[in-house]
Amino acid sequence: MSVPDLDPVIHAQARLRVVATLNALCEGDQIAFPGLKDLLGMTAGNLSVHLTKLEDAGYVEITKTHKGRTPVTYVALTRRGRLAFEEYTVAIRALLGGEQ
Amino acid sequence: MDEEDLSPAEMMRLIEEQSAATARRLQPDPLLLYAPWGIAWMVGFGAFFLSYGLDGRPLAPISWQLALSILFGGQLLAGAFLFWTARSGGVQVRGESAQRGMMYGYSWFVGMMSMSLIMSHFAPLLPREQVGLLYASVSLLVVAVLYMAGGAVWREWPMFLIGVWVAVVNAVGAMLGPGWHSLLVSLLVGGGFFVTGIVLRRRG
Repeated sequence: MSVPDLDPVIHAQARLRVVATLNALCEGDQIAFPGLKDLLGMTAGNLSVHLTKLEDAGYVEITKTHKGRTPVTYVALTRRGRLAFEEYTVAIRALLGGEQ
Repeated sequence: MDEEDLSPAEMMRLIEEQSAATARRLQPDPLLLYAPWGIAWMVGFGAFFLSYGLDGRPLAPISWQLALSILFGGQLLAGAFLFWTARSGGVQVRGESAQRGMMYGYSWFVGMMSMSLIMSHFAPLLPREQVGLLYASVSLLVVAVLYMAGGAVWREWPMFLIGVWVAVVNAVGAMLGPGWHSLLVSLLVGGGFFVTGIVLRRRG
């Protein structure tokens, strides 16, 4: 089946799960990298690769900071990312509706 | 594409499962949120009821000091339990919701401290059993208002409604006197929290 209208950045299992997880946070919230890794059950390396791709697309904002002396990385969906995810789910629903 | 293509139906299922799993991890378990306070109040105000009786004659040889220790001990345990579950299960999230939670937490602390100071001024001027009733009913008023406010902050109807419930039971009980107040609070407020925890967990 051809899916020409689906956003290629989100239309990959792993990144779709990342975006769905971040979308479940309240707007204005950021999640620490280890927590996100746990929620997704991904390796740190794998998650980093996907986050970089999402960041390049402008969908994800990554903030590096320090808590005491330990570096902490926080991740959040940007407004654009939230919108892209919304459009993606609408497109998927439309495809599902068309199938039936 | 990094992985093999999934059908739209499978993608939709993936979105739903991941969103639900995330929501479960980010929201505290309602049973652990309500039930410990329910038990603490059932037991604590139950002890006060036995020590007051309904017609001024105690139903069991429990001094008010003992009843107060049972109530405080239970609340301390419930608070420690809440703190422990919040720390151990929590995924680290910062931002607006963390600020909301922090302000709400401080509201409890400031509200209870301020109430205690005001009470300590009036306590010596009243008969002993009225002092107990005044403390109990005014602290429960603070509890009721903060639950209603919490419901407004997180748009949680159950939290708001249980605040209304506490306010009503507390006010009616206070009108009826110390014995009735502790009986009604033990059964209806303590029991209400316990049942709310179980019902919300089942629905969750």
